[in-house]
Amino acid sequence: MLSRTAEYLYWISRYMERAETNARLLDVGYRMSLFPNPNGYNNEWESVLAAAGAIQGYKNKYNIIEQKKVEDYLFFDEDNPSSVFNCILNARSNALVVRTSFTPESWLAINKTYQEILKLKNNNFNASDLPNLTEWTIEQVNLFRGSLSSLLRNDGYNFLYLGLFVERADNSARLLDVKYFVLLPKPQYIGGNIDNMQWSILLRSLSSFRAFRWAYDGDVTSTKIADFLVLNSDCPRSLSFCIQNIVKHLTNLTCSPEKVNKIYNTLKNLNIKIQEEKIESIVDFGLHEFVTQFINKISSVDSDIQKEFFN
Amino acid sequence: MFNEMYQSESLIRNHYNNINEWLEKMTAKVINEKNAEAETHFRNIGITFSTNSETARERIIPFDLIPRIFTFSEWSKLEKGVIQRAKALNAFLADIYNQGEIIKANIIPKELIFKKKSYEVSMFGFTPPRSIYSPIVGIDLVRTNHNEYFVLEDNCRTPSGVSYMLENREIMMRMFPDLFHTNRVTPIDDYPTRLLQTLMSLAPIKCNTSEPVCVLLTPGPLNSAYYEHSFLSDQMGIEMVESTDLFVEGEFLYMKTVDGPKKVDVVYRRIDDDFLDPLCFNPNSVIGIPGIMDVYRTGGVNICSAPGAGIADDKAIYIYVPEMIKFYLGEQPILENVQTWSCDKDDDLNYVLDNLSDLVVKEVDGSGGYGMLIGPKSSKSSIEEFRRKLSANPRGYIAQPLLDLSFSPTLIKNQVEGRRVDLRPFCLMGENAQLSSGGLTRVAMNEGSFVVNSSQGGGVKDTWVLAE
Repeated sequence: MLSRTAEYLYWISRYMERAETNARLLDVGYRMSLFPNPNGYNNEWESVLAAAGAIQGYKNKYNIIEQKKVEDYLFFDEDNPSSVFNCILNARSNALVVRTSFTPESWLAINKTYQEILKLKNNNFNASDLPNLTEWTIEQVNLFRGSLSSLLRNDGYNFLYLGLFVERADNSARLLDVKYFVLLPKPQYIGGNIDNMQWSILLRSLSSFRAFRWAYDGDVTSTKIADFLVLNSDCPRSLSFCIQNIVKHLTNLTCSPEKVNKIYNTLKNLNIKIQEEKIESIVDFGLHEFVTQFINKISSVDSDIQKEFFN
Repeated sequence: MFNEMYQSESLIRNHYNNINEWLEKMTAKVINEKNAEAETHFRNIGITFSTNSETARERIIPFDLIPRIFTFSEWSKLEKGVIQRAKALNAFLADIYNQGEIIKANIIPKELIFKKKSYEVSMFGFTPPRSIYSPIVGIDLVRTNHNEYFVLEDNCRTPSGVSYMLENREIMMRMFPDLFHTNRVTPIDDYPTRLLQTLMSLAPIKCNTSEPVCVLLTPGPLNSAYYEHSFLSDQMGIEMVESTDLFVEGEFLYMKTVDGPKKVDVVYRRIDDDFLDPLCFNPNSVIGIPGIMDVYRTGGVNICSAPGAGIADDKAIYIYVPEMIKFYLGEQPILENVQTWSCDKDDDLNYVLDNLSDLVVKEVDGSGGYGMLIGPKSSKSSIEEFRRKLSANPRGYIAQPLLDLSFSPTLIKNQVEGRRVDLRPFCLMGENAQLSSGGLTRVAMNEGSFVVNSSQGGGVKDTWVLAE
């Protein structure tokens, strides 16, 4: 397989995953905006921008933070490199180049999504349409993922999934971090109603609300949720699950065993640690510190993959 | 005028009877639905092209539901004629890059060849595998009568349009399966396999495997034929590469893969000569593969079509193709050339200037239907304007009579109306010479128009060749 093909495949699934995360983030903001705010405190849209890593770009463009503008910026704006629109545009132009390396269905899924978002962008949308836009995005990304199931299990398949899980690991970690440091600005709220409400919104944004109920009995506590999202390898969005899958698709690669080994060695310890870790010791160590380390590790795995296989 | 479907006002040609019945049964509602279905299908698969227009991101070519039909015997004649022409064009290339017999025999003046930009000096004295310079030849034909075809032009570099030939058939089979039960239509879906066989049969001398590695070299997604590039490489199961994926090391050409370098034997290139090798051609080109020409000339790789093959489809060389057929093959031409006046000759120029309102005048280096004058269809003032352009640069133009292109039934606003068509079949030259069992039919969608180019309101049709 051409190095460039591998690179494009990797990025297609990163973009599609990112499109979904951004759509879900918007949904989080939308839900929070429907709840009463504590003491006139009102920062849900700023938190959403922060979680999407888009706050600087947004502030360069707008002076005030308001729902309609944030929605537009995160969903349609071509100036925002990570907007859902740009993610789909990028995924599509990559797919155009490597369409011969996956199934016609995968191409169709991406190209139809592109055709539709062009139409959506041209129709002026209402703020109340947001849940529909989110739902539409998730549906489209699911179509794409579903189409991958009929792929040959070759290196192309593994690069697609490497991209997916690298992106997801990063996104999940950032969302967790945002929960602690952006959503809840004042320590005295920890453990309060607002805190728990935000945790459950976080679960929803990760499409894990119902799954959490299945996995844990009793009260919803922040420790249980952290355990679920960091360590529970049954949860398809947890850090642990993402790492396991990165390892799996990396070691399934048949090309260049020495490169695979090199990257695997840098990843091995993190994988072992996250499987053996207890949530209590992570909380003692500091969830924020843990997540920051994790994000750095994932980003170095990402640059190793790019350096070893794509250059 | 010749109508492909109607023998006379009330009489349908035999081979169109089934289609006529089918048309009579189709309601306006069905036609609208099927048109919408075809358009959605073409958009979804991405068979789009970019035009010079800034407004639309991507456009699709209008597709007409009514197929154009050839009988077996009609096609047999075309087949012989096109293959004959493709052989002569390849023989011509082999000759002018080696002995130059046709020049010594005073058939073609040498300045017509050696002064052309498309004549590639670096090819002199080198012969590619099997002496094939142009493995895919697209011949543009028009029909003017029952048994009368003219060649409008030859395409020896990288003729495009074959993906439309294949996709038009796919959509027809999908939308109207019954038509294919009642008509015996020769399949064309083996074209990509035949193309791959052709490329593999043209492996270079230093290739020592029975399964040479072929790649398709594309300029990238911005090229208007990009869909075709990805479609063909997909159908052939070969890599589609850009020049940055390739590099030369030692005597061979390699592509960069996740496994490390992989040797490439045959490059089916869809980029122009100028962008192949910055060391040999355009030194300012930022794309291209430095050193590929050295590898090529020493038998490490084959480039299809050969650099410099474009001289054979030059509009000034076109005039001599019937002579080439006689000279190289010792045969009489089966397909006719259109009578052509080349304006660099004084006599011809005077005739053309005196008869501008009856002639079609084209730029020698033009394409896409741009920059031409259709005398009988033009106003006095635009003829006078063209006269000034022509007098200023007579070398740049040729002139031809306006041919009465045949009419094919076409759905216009749900009514069947006659529209003019041309045809581009694709001839493969490798171990065997063979013609696609069909081709690309282009149709001038505007009433009375002679211009079939997609950039100027042309559409396409599925083209059927009936089995014997």
